Amino acid sequence: MNAGLACVDGVEILMDYLEGTLPKADREAVEAHVSGCPRCVAFVESYRQTPRILRAATAATLPEDLAQSLRRFLASRR
Amino acid sequence: MTVPAADEGDEALAARAAAGAEPAFEELVARYQARVYRLACRLSADEGEAKDVLQETFLAAYRGLPAFRGDSRFSTWLYRIATNAALMHRRARTRRPTESLEAFLPRFDAGGVHAAEPADLLAASRADEILDRKLLAEKARAGLDRLPDIYRDAFVLRDLEELTTAEVAETLGIDAAAVRQRVHRARLMLRGYLSDLVGVKP
Repeated sequence: MNAGLACVDGVEILMDYLEGTLPKADREAVEAHVSGCPRCVAFVESYRQTPRILRAATAATLPEDLAQSLRRFLASRR
Repeated sequence: MTVPAADEGDEALAARAAAGAEPAFEELVARYQARVYRLACRLSADEGEAKDVLQETFLAAYRGLPAFRGDSRFSTWLYRIATNAALMHRRARTRRPTESLEAFLPRFDAGGVHAAEPADLLAASRADEILDRKLLAEKARAGLDRLPDIYRDAFVLRDLEELTTAEVAETLGIDAAAVRQRVHRARLMLRGYLSDLVGVKP
């Protein structure tokens, strides 16, 4: 199977590929396709960067007044 | 009463806190309050809700500590409490209708080839270089709100909080394959969303 894997098939199993849960034959088919496909190289790169960008952009910091009100809240209920 | 040492392990602190050592519990709060708040913000509708989740999480942890057996790590246990608290809040409120992110999924031609050119396919990875930081923070938050809840929860825990797939599965009570499937869908949608933010069709 997997001869002539298309971009759409690779995208479908990309997460499993990156997590290392694909059978060897499928893994090799993905690698064979991507290595010869500039579109997939670009797609995989943007797919991999997406979590990093969202992680940095949604990293809320705890305001000091909220940390204090948490302490007061917990103290009042113990 | 023993003062908690900075290098004392979470599980040892948890055991002492369960036995009534208040400073041990306070040290656990100090260690995890920022992380629990960050998680709460990522799963909640707004800061007010995140604050409630933060308080409820540590209160539930305090009360639940005697039952903490150490079968999982303290952090995993605490994350589960926080996630459940956030999900309870969500169930209690009316969900605002949001526009789906389905339109941002990748497109293929009839032969299964990516419809976009390589330069456009890559555009999402430069969203943080191109967009103003404050704007990106607002849009990122809006993007999370637009994800279907089940994708959001898996994505937040796996990719934003960086739990392992097994830990996410344990926290959400689903199997690892379902975690991977949900995280994958979320990544695809958000990747296209970032692409759209920088003015490129995904």
